[in-house]
Amino acid sequence: MPRETANSHPVARSGLASVFVPGLGQFLLGERYRGVGILLGFLLILGTTAWYGEPFWYASPILIWVWNIWDAVSLAGGRARSILLPLAFGLAAAYGIGWQVVEIDFSKANVDRAIAILRPMARPDFVQPRREVNQMWVPVQVPCSSEPPLARREDEGKTAFVMPDCGGVGETLIVSASGLWPNAETNIYWQNPIGNPLMLGEGEITMLTLTSDENGAVTAAIRVPSTALVAAPDPTLPQFHRVYFEQYRPTGGYELSFIGNEVLKGALATVSMALLATGLAMVFAIPLSFLAARNLMGGNPVTYAIYVVVRTLLNILRSIESLIIAIIFVVIVGLGPFAGMLALALHSVAALGKLYSEVIEGIDPGPIEAIRATGANWLQVVRYAVIPQIVPPFTAFTIYRWDINVRSATVIGLVGGGGIGFLLIELIRVNNMRGVSAVFIAIAFIVIVLDYVSAKLRERLV
Amino acid sequence: MPITRIVRNALITALVIAAFIVSLRVTEADFPRLFRDLPKGKDLLTAFLTPDVFTREVETRTISIAFPIPCGSAPTESLLPSDGPRLVPSVNCAAPLETFTLQGFDLQPNSEVVIRWRLPDGRTMTAIRTQTDANGYFTYDVQARPIQSSVDGVPSRLEVDTLTPVGGLKPSQALKDVMDNMFVTIFMALLSTTLATIIAAPLSFLAASNITRKGCVGTVVYYIFRSFFNLMRSYDPLVMATVFGFWLSFGPFPGFLALTVVTIASLGKLFSEAVENIDPGPLEALQATGAPPLHTVRYGVVPQIVPDFISYIIYHWDINVRISTIIGFVGGGGIGYYLNLSINDFKWNQAGTAIWAIVIVVWAMDFLSAEIRKRLT
Amino acid sequence: MLQIQNVSKTYPNGTQALKNVSFDVKDGEFLVVIGLSGSGKSTLLRCINRLIDPTEGKIIWDGVDITAAPPAELRNIRRKIGMVFQQFNLVKRSSVMTNVLSGRLGYVNPWMSLLGIWPAEEKQRALEALGRVGIADKAHNRADALSGGQQQRVGIARALMQDPKLILADEPVASLDPVLSHSILQYLEQLNKEGITVICSLHFLDLVHRYATRVVALKDGVKVFEGTAQEIDRAKFKEIYGEEAQEVRAASL
Repeated sequence: MPRETANSHPVARSGLASVFVPGLGQFLLGERYRGVGILLGFLLILGTTAWYGEPFWYASPILIWVWNIWDAVSLAGGRARSILLPLAFGLAAAYGIGWQVVEIDFSKANVDRAIAILRPMARPDFVQPRREVNQMWVPVQVPCSSEPPLARREDEGKTAFVMPDCGGVGETLIVSASGLWPNAETNIYWQNPIGNPLMLGEGEITMLTLTSDENGAVTAAIRVPSTALVAAPDPTLPQFHRVYFEQYRPTGGYELSFIGNEVLKGALATVSMALLATGLAMVFAIPLSFLAARNLMGGNPVTYAIYVVVRTLLNILRSIESLIIAIIFVVIVGLGPFAGMLALALHSVAALGKLYSEVIEGIDPGPIEAIRATGANWLQVVRYAVIPQIVPPFTAFTIYRWDINVRSATVIGLVGGGGIGFLLIELIRVNNMRGVSAVFIAIAFIVIVLDYVSAKLRERLV
Repeated sequence: MPITRIVRNALITALVIAAFIVSLRVTEADFPRLFRDLPKGKDLLTAFLTPDVFTREVETRTISIAFPIPCGSAPTESLLPSDGPRLVPSVNCAAPLETFTLQGFDLQPNSEVVIRWRLPDGRTMTAIRTQTDANGYFTYDVQARPIQSSVDGVPSRLEVDTLTPVGGLKPSQALKDVMDNMFVTIFMALLSTTLATIIAAPLSFLAASNITRKGCVGTVVYYIFRSFFNLMRSYDPLVMATVFGFWLSFGPFPGFLALTVVTIASLGKLFSEAVENIDPGPLEALQATGAPPLHTVRYGVVPQIVPDFISYIIYHWDINVRISTIIGFVGGGGIGYYLNLSINDFKWNQAGTAIWAIVIVVWAMDFLSAEIRKRLT
Repeated sequence: MLQIQNVSKTYPNGTQALKNVSFDVKDGEFLVVIGLSGSGKSTLLRCINRLIDPTEGKIIWDGVDITAAPPAELRNIRRKIGMVFQQFNLVKRSSVMTNVLSGRLGYVNPWMSLLGIWPAEEKQRALEALGRVGIADKAHNRADALSGGQQQRVGIARALMQDPKLILADEPVASLDPVLSHSILQYLEQLNKEGITVICSLHFLDLVHRYATRVVALKDGVKVFEGTAQEIDRAKFKEIYGEEAQEVRAASL
C-alpha cells in the first residue's frame, strides 16, 4: 500500500477531530501535552474575548482554531507547526484587550499638571530657616449687620484697619496695616471664625504676599473669600472674621519644619512597626514551623494531618497581602500603627513559618547521626546537631523579613495602619507636595539604609 | 570566652531590647485591647468566609393596603378580600408609633417577607424581614412609623414583598464585578510588566559595569543609571501610585504607570546584574573569529542573558499581579478598588468575594511562575 | 611566515607582560610556547590576533603588518586565524551547532546571520567539522551538556570553520585530564600535518616533547629559549621554570 493512502485516514480523522475540539486531533495522535495546551489556550482566549465582549477580538480565537486544524493535519503527515503563530495571535488579543481594559491613554498625561506637582517637590519641606514672626490681625464682620463696628485694631504700636468695616462674600475690601517691619515680605490671609486660614491670592489657592514700604506699612485690595461662610451655621448671621498680616525674618540657622518633624515621627513609627512585627512573628512562627516541617510530621497519619492543616493555613495567609489584613485590624483596634503592626506580624508569621519549615526540612541528617553515635541523649542531639544548623538561616531569614516589613510598613499607613504612609496620604489630600517630597526622601533613605544594613548582617551570618 | 566578647554580646542584647521597648511605645501597642475587641473582628471574618458568590433568582410578589396615620387623615381600605393572598392588620388605622399586629394569609409558602411603609410622597422606609410558614402565613407586630400624615387624602400604605427563590443557583452580581475587576488587575500587571521590560532591557546595558563603565563618560552614565534604579526600586508601587493617582485622577491608568515605573527600576537592576555576570570567554572567542561587533553581541551576549531575562520577567509578572490586586486602595483601579469600595460600604460579603478571588489568583500566579521558571533553567 | 619583532606589552596597571620578544614562525610549524603561569604566554598569543594590542613592536604575517591593520582589515586577518581556548569559551546555553557556525561569522551575510539564518552549505560544513573531531552526533545538544573534552573538540571545530591558515591554541589541554589531552593535541597535530601552522602554549614538558617541532620559552615576559624540544636539558629547564621546579610528566598524573 502506498504511504499516502496509509496517511490519508489519520489526516482526515485528526483534522476533523480538531475542527470540533481544538487540540483533540493532536491529542489522538499521541501529542497529549500539545493537545491539552492548545485546548486550554483556546478556551482562555475565547473566555477572555467573550468576557470583554468586543467582537473584533474574536478574530484571535478563530485564527487559533484555524491554525489548530492546520497543525493537526500537518502533524498527521509527521510535521508539527511552530506554536509561535498561535502564541502571537493570543498575545495580540491579550494586549489589545488589556490596552482598553486598563484604559491606557497617554493623552491624559497632562504635562502642565505634572510640572505643577513636581516643581514644589524639588523643594522638600524638611527644614526651614529659623525665623521670628511679626503678626497683626484685624476683625471684620461678614456679612454686614445694620451697624457694623469699626474694623480697626491697635496692638504694640501696630495698627490695622479694613475699609469698609464689613463686607459680603466676594465683595472687595481695602486692608491696611502700619507699624510692621519695613521692607519685608508680608503674607496677608483670611481666617474664618472657627480658625481655618483661607488664602487671598489668585484663585484663592495661593498666598497673597506683598512687601511693606520703608515705614512698615502695607495696603491691599482683597475680596472676601468665596468659601468664607462655608462652615457657618447660618450664612445670614454676621460674624467676626479676621484678616492676618504676617511677616517672617530669619534669625540665622535652620530648624526642623513642622512637616519635617512629622516625617521623622512617621519614619520612626514605620521602622518600629516593622521591628515589632518581625519580633512578634518570629515568636509565633518558630513553633508553627516545626509543625509545618514534613520530615518531622510525616511519620504517622495524625501528625501528617496537622502538617497539612498548618501548611495550608500558612499558604492561604501568605497569599493575602498585609494591606488587606490591616483593614481587618483597623476595624478591631482602630486606626494607627498598632493595627498596621499586627497586620504585618500576621502576614510575617505565615511567610516566616514557611521559610523556617523549609530550613528544618533541609537540615543535614549526617551531624545528627554523628552526635547520636557518640552516645548523646535527645536534648544533646538537638543542642549540638540541630540548633547549630538552623540558627544561622533562621536569623538570616528573620533579618530579611524585617527588611521586607519596613518596605510594607511604608504602605500600610495608606489604609490607616499608621506610620509614614498615613502621613503621605494626608499630605496628598491637602495638596502639600513639598511635604510629599520630604516623605519620599525619607522613604528612600529608610529603605536603602535598611537594605544595606540587612544585607551586611546576613553576609556576616553565612 | 574573652570578657570583651561577653560585654559585646550583652551590649547588643541590651540594644535590641531597648529597640523593642521604644517600638512598643511608638506603635502604641495595646495588646489587652486586641483581645478585648477581638469579637469585633468575628462578624468581619464570618462575612469573609461566606463570600457572596451565588444567588438564586427570586420572584417578588407585592401586595399592599392603605393604612392612614393618624386615623381619619384619609379613607381606610374599603373592603379587605377574604380569600387569596391578603394582608390583615389588627386595626385599619393607627396613631403614630402605635403598635398593631399584621397578619398575612395564603402568601407564597416558606418565603422571605419584607414589610415596609410607602409614604404618600412615594418614598419607602423601614424594611422588616420575616418568614412565611408552609401555609404562606405570617404574623408580625408592626409599629406605625410614618409620622408624616397623609397628604391630600393619600394615605401611607403598608407594602409586603414575598421573595420566593425560583430556579437554580447563578453567579451573583458581586462575583461578576469581582471577575470584571480581576480582569483589569491581571491585564494591568501584564501590560506594565511588558512596557517595563521594553524600557528596562536596553537601559540595563547602560547600568552594567562590564559594558558601560569604560572611560569618563561611561562611568558617569553607569553611576547615573545604577543610582536611578536603586532609588526608584526603594519605593513600593503603592507609594508611587499615590502620586500618579494625584496627577492623573483615579483609575487603572495611574496604577499601571506607577507599577511600570517601579518595575523598570527593579527589572533594570536584575537585568544589569545578569549582563554583568556573563562569561566573557565566548565574546573573546567570537572576536578572534573576526566577527563584527553586533554579531559578537548577538551570538556571544544574547544567548547568555535571554533565559535569565525571561525568568525575571515572569517573576515580576507574578509580583505585579500581587501588587495590582492592592494598588486600587490608593486609587489604582482593579480589584483593590472594588475591595476598598466594598469595605467602605460595609459590604463585607462582597469584600470576602474579592479577597477569595485575590487569594486564588495570587496562588495560581505563584504556582505558574514557579513552574515556568523551573523549566527555564 | 609570521614574524614577531620586538613586541612588548605593558598593561594600564603597569604590569609588563612582554619585554621585547622576537621570533619567527615558518608556515607548517607546530610551535609550542612554554613558561610558568604569568610568564606572558597568553598575552603573546593574544597579541598575534590583536585581542590584546601590543604597546611596542610589530607582528607581520605574510608581509602584512597585523599591528597596523585598521578594524575592517583586522577582521579579515582574524578570520584566517583560528583560536582555541583553555576554558573552551563556548556559549553554554547555545547548541553545539550554533557555536560551531559562529566560527563562520567573519564570512557569511551579516544580516541573515544576525537573524540566526544560515545557508545549507554552512550547516553542512559545520557537520563536517564536527565529524572531523568525532562528535557529529552531538550537533543539536546544548554546549553545556557536553563533557570537557567534547567541549574542547567543539572549540576546535569552531576554529576549523574559519578555514584557518594559522591556529592559536592557548593552553588547550590545561583543563583536561592526560588521556583527553593527548586526543585533543592529536587533532591539532593532524591539522598541522594538513598544512595549518599551529602556535600552542603548553604546561607539561612531555607533551612538548611529543608534539612540538620547535619551542619558545618565556620567563617574566622575556624570551629565554628558542630551539627544539630535545635541546631543553636540566639546566635550561631550571632556567625556565626556576630552581625548585621538578619535571612532572602529564602521563604520570
